[in-house]
Amino acid sequence: MTTHPMTLVTVVCEALARQPLLEILREHGVRGYTLFPVEGAGNKGDRPADIEEFGNIQVEVILPEAEANRLLENLASRFLSRFLGIVYTAEVRVLRPTKFETHRS
Amino acid sequence: MDLWQSIRLNVASPPLLFFALGVVSVLLRADLRLPEPVYVLLSTYLLMAIGFKGGVALNEAGFSQVWLPAVAAVALGVVIPLWCYGILRMGLRLSAVDAAAIGAHYGSVSAVTFVTALQYLASIQIPYENYASAFLAVMESPAIVVGVLLGRWAGQKGQWLGPDMRRVLHEALLGRSVFLLVGSLLAGFICGSRGAESTHGFFVMPFEGVLTLFLFEMGMVAARRLGDLRRVGVGLVAFGLVMPVLHGAVGMVVGHWSGLSPGGSFLMAVLAASASYIAAPAAMRLALPEANPTLYLTASLAVTFPFNVTLGLPLYAQMVRWWLGTFP
Repeated sequence: MTTHPMTLVTVVCEALARQPLLEILREHGVRGYTLFPVEGAGNKGDRPADIEEFGNIQVEVILPEAEANRLLENLASRFLSRFLGIVYTAEVRVLRPTKFETHRS
Repeated sequence: MDLWQSIRLNVASPPLLFFALGVVSVLLRADLRLPEPVYVLLSTYLLMAIGFKGGVALNEAGFSQVWLPAVAAVALGVVIPLWCYGILRMGLRLSAVDAAAIGAHYGSVSAVTFVTALQYLASIQIPYENYASAFLAVMESPAIVVGVLLGRWAGQKGQWLGPDMRRVLHEALLGRSVFLLVGSLLAGFICGSRGAESTHGFFVMPFEGVLTLFLFEMGMVAARRLGDLRRVGVGLVAFGLVMPVLHGAVGMVVGHWSGLSPGGSFLMAVLAASASYIAAPAAMRLALPEANPTLYLTASLAVTFPFNVTLGLPLYAQMVRWWLGTFP
């Protein structure tokens, strides 16, 4: 089976940052993402998810590498300066690359 | 009844005993956990029940009796953040945004504290204005708006209204709990006593049981934040214990002046004394992200909330007894 290289960008951040994060993704023309509630701990202490608002969320999006880099810059300057969170990337291979093209309006 | 008697009576009630059990379970690492949706479900039930009951009462009482205490409640929500800001700035030397954010929490209200107070009144058989949940509904937002404006005005001279003010207002005025409460009040108002009869078995009968289960969960939620007490300092912990008493006294007087019964004045005291821990943190994270969430969340959730439901309620009842003289 032929697969194609793409970049997976993962953001783990406080659940209350959901709307601002999704807005940034929208600005980048991201069409699809996966979001799940998670909990854990970081250098600002525990993040127990006993109440949804106090927990973390993990958002995964898959993008072409160039677009992923632009997103990272944007997240670093506008998002991580305001909210608790971490961002990391990984190289992944996908079956259908057209699913992950961004389209800016 | 003296103060000790009423404290004993409050603490030895099913909701409070299970609240304590929740706290103890976390302290002893008993590893009890309710699934997260339980919190949403139980709080929805409680807000719906008190909103609906309040709406039915509103239908019977009419707005002529309600508007003055409602305006008084809004006024309390507006002014409490202002003096909290002053005290936190001058007394505790907190930064402007932190002081404004904490002020917003203390001016806003905690629905759980209010619901526990309703149950407390029911258990000692004190009558109160059943439409009091309308005051809960109107008192959540004003302080959040004032706090945000205060924090922005003090924090970043100049553009304090900011382009995202619309989103902030939406967050403050249309939070989950305000929406649900106002909607349930409206539903109760439309249905009237007919609706109260048909829902009695669901909204009234299991109420104390559901509150008990909810406070069990809240005990765990509060106790998980006790570790953060060390991070916030003695000054803020003292603030979280003293301000509710002060606000309780002010709230009681304002409630009395606006024509409420002793039971209603007690509830106004509880509303003024309580601090928000869901709506206000959510709004602050978006509108004043520079403010430190550990400070406001710990003060409100790990200090003021447990204080209010255990010692606060009997203390405010005692205040009503001392000053208004007509409380069993």
